[in-house]
Amino acid sequence: MSKHSAINRFGRSANPAFTKNFGSTSSDIPLEQRMTLDGAVNKTGILLALCFSGAFIGWNIPALMFPAMIIGFILAMVTIFRNPSKSGSTAPLYAVSQGIFLGGVTLFYESSFPGIAIQAIALTFGILASLLLCYKSGLILPTENFRLMLASAIGGIFILYLINFIMMFFGSTISLITSNSLASIGFSLFVVGIAAFSLVLDFDFIEEGAEKGMPKYMEWYGAFSLMVTLIWLYLEILRLLAKIRSR
Amino acid sequence: MNSIFYTLVAVLSLFIFFKLAKVKASNKQLKRDNRINRFGIKKDNGNIIEGKSTEIADDEKK
Repeated sequence: MSKHSAINRFGRSANPAFTKNFGSTSSDIPLEQRMTLDGAVNKTGILLALCFSGAFIGWNIPALMFPAMIIGFILAMVTIFRNPSKSGSTAPLYAVSQGIFLGGVTLFYESSFPGIAIQAIALTFGILASLLLCYKSGLILPTENFRLMLASAIGGIFILYLINFIMMFFGSTISLITSNSLASIGFSLFVVGIAAFSLVLDFDFIEEGAEKGMPKYMEWYGAFSLMVTLIWLYLEILRLLAKIRSR
Repeated sequence: MNSIFYTLVAVLSLFIFFKLAKVKASNKQLKRDNRINRFGIKKDNGNIIEGKSTEIADDEKK
């Protein structure tokens, strides 16, 4: 018998909205089915390996670049909005498709600026490791205000990119995004900074999920969110380096 | 030569990431009041004692 009289009288609700574990402790999830730090890190490793494999394909068959980008985008939307619990199957597919896209993009940049790819990869992983160190040591403390600030900055960047995308159909672009002027380089630096700080939120998400014993599939979801940010960061660094080298 | 340097940086950074990511964050990071609460699970309040409450009368003290 439960100590709550309402449960004794009406039974436990089968409504998923009430059984999703929100607002309650996760003590009813068995220990082996809870999210762990190790699990999330291992899954990030798997996604990174899949992304590199995809990049190898994209590098050799650049024609697959755009279909892979569209498939990756759809998979990301499905994972985020439709079914995060299925991220165990969608996240690896996302990593492969985005890998193919990145392989094609990297080939394009590398043919114009030799050596740019390895510089961008080194910078991306360098930022990843240094920000993780800052997060773990408590040098950067993500708060609700920090998250709000990042969300509004990302929203602003997204709107600007969207306007630029629409303008491309009319044969024009926003020079702040596409040119190699100093203002454009400054803008790219700002975007790289925002993408880098988003990594801190991903680390905090994984840490909090593991601490609060969220379900196992959240390991895939945490690894997936880290991959999304890493891919964005890599693309922005690639663009920034290209702008600097084309001056 | 440059490529070797950048490859080393990338490999070393990845190694640091995989080693460090499995370590729990510092107390300064985890034990603070202004942490983001994404999952709606509140921390246990140590001041609340479960069980039946009893009224303390002033007479009992005497």
